Amino acid sequence: MTAQALTREGTPRMAIWKALLLTLPIVPFAAAALANDLMSGEAQLIEIIPSLLIWILLTVFFFRMLVTGKTHRYRSALFILLAFAVPLYLIPQLFELYGTNMLTPEMTYAAKARFCPMTMGMVILPAVLKGVVIFPGAIVEGIGWFFLWIGASLVIGRGWCSWGCIFGGWDEFFSRLRKKPVVKHVDRKWRFLPFAILLAIVLLSAITFHPIYCEWLCPFKVVSEFEAPTSLATTVALVIFPLTFFGLVVALPLLTKKRIQCGLFCPFGALQSFFNKINIFELRIDLDKCSQCKRCFRECPTFSLDEGSLVSGKALMSCTRCGQCVDACPKGAMSYHIKGTRIGISPNAARLLFLYPAYILFCGFGANVIADALWRVLRLITTGSMI
Amino acid sequence: MHGFLLGLANGTSCLALCAPVLIPFLLSEGDNVHQNLVTLLKFLGGRLLGYLLFGLLAWAVGGLLLAAGGYQTLLIGGTYVGLSVLLLVAVFRKKRPTPGGCALSEAQTRFRRWPALIPLGMGLLAGLKVCPPLLLAFTDAASSGTLGGSLLLFVTFFLGTTLYFLPLPLLGAFTRMPDLRIVGRFAAVIVALYYLGSGILLFAGGVQL
Repeated sequence: MTAQALTREGTPRMAIWKALLLTLPIVPFAAAALANDLMSGEAQLIEIIPSLLIWILLTVFFFRMLVTGKTHRYRSALFILLAFAVPLYLIPQLFELYGTNMLTPEMTYAAKARFCPMTMGMVILPAVLKGVVIFPGAIVEGIGWFFLWIGASLVIGRGWCSWGCIFGGWDEFFSRLRKKPVVKHVDRKWRFLPFAILLAIVLLSAITFHPIYCEWLCPFKVVSEFEAPTSLATTVALVIFPLTFFGLVVALPLLTKKRIQCGLFCPFGALQSFFNKINIFELRIDLDKCSQCKRCFRECPTFSLDEGSLVSGKALMSCTRCGQCVDACPKGAMSYHIKGTRIGISPNAARLLFLYPAYILFCGFGANVIADALWRVLRLITTGSMI
Repeated sequence: MHGFLLGLANGTSCLALCAPVLIPFLLSEGDNVHQNLVTLLKFLGGRLLGYLLFGLLAWAVGGLLLAAGGYQTLLIGGTYVGLSVLLLVAVFRKKRPTPGGCALSEAQTRFRRWPALIPLGMGLLAGLKVCPPLLLAFTDAASSGTLGGSLLLFVTFFLGTTLYFLPLPLLGAFTRMPDLRIVGRFAAVIVALYYLGSGILLFAGGVQL
């Protein structure tokens, strides 16, 4: 076996020519940001520049992932960028269309809201049992999302939560602000809370025909759209949304250095965990290389590694394949792995096979959103208005 | 027969309405299929009691209660709050340390055993939750005109709907997994909080469910 060049942290480094070659397949997908501008045929320079920048950024970041062997570092930066771009993209659009981001019940039921994939768990049971789609959003858009979600989930499992989610970057951002956590221990039982929320909202949504999580709990209503306060219930919900946002997305991630909303609350994440059981990728620990330093489970942002992982050599089913443990491991013992193959055999090939669909998913969701947000910021600077 | 068919036709709705309370409770409490069967029987007993009360009401007041929309809202709000309190008690009572070894008075022993009646109470409150199938049964019972006819209709309605509940004790097969019990307990608390909030909002006139 030939010795591989290693980075300072011990992860494999790829030759530049090889990395360039392997980046080529990503280039057309990264160009998704440009697609809208080019197809419109009337795009102005101020619209094309952000798209070009995002195209270059996405291509360069993928190349850097390959050259440095670091996944999390670049993924995280893009993931956070996407999360911050979402309100800049979505809210001005709503203002352009309706003059507000507070939707009335009439607008909601007339499917004026954008479809949110986080509602999948609540939508399926009423749709199967009663033939009713309870999400207050565009149904045609929802069907498209449904197939995209199923396909992506089968391929990358809960990797969706670190590569496809448009909101997860918020708590990732706040979890990375402090150097050391203030709260170092979170009881194991809290890891089951997302599954309990999933069970409760699926059952309650099935009987009430309302997306209970969206109506009462979703912290990300603060950075998107929400129902106008037309009753006591919607007024109470308007108080709850900032509280859950501040608690789960800002304060607790700051204190624990963990993605609390994603790891301990999000029911969609719990649903995605089941896909980890049936798709081919996983995170494995090569126990022969592992020095039991436990850095991986201190670093894991979603509580997906524990003492048991150091015995079994496997991450838990809640793993979001963010790559933070792989980047952090000083011995190179953590790696992306294809189920059914031997541990330690071609970890780079397994990583690459995972990175392609995951990155393409990110480009599909993120490229256009980030480019549009950047264009809105430029527009604000040049014209004084985002809309 | 009419009540039985009505129950059979609407049983899935009744199961769906009771499931948010019953499934987390069975997951968090039951140790095995047998224990879950006992819990389910208590729950169904409470439900039958609730239906009989409705049968009695249907005979006594006929359609008057249906016309009084305000009372209906209060009744639903009340059952929601009651359900949530019972669920919360069921989840948190096990956390108290159980004194052992010392001789307890009969009264104390009885007090310690009363939580065994929680499924009965939950069944009663679930039976009192006004839902479309129950309103249908209520209307039919009110038009029957006699106490016997009204009660019989609700008993047969109960039997028709109960068929759908029979597989639920099988959840006991999963509760041997300790992690699922934690999920069940958390879910019970969430459902309880939802019903508590909904009940309070109904009392306050904020929502129409």
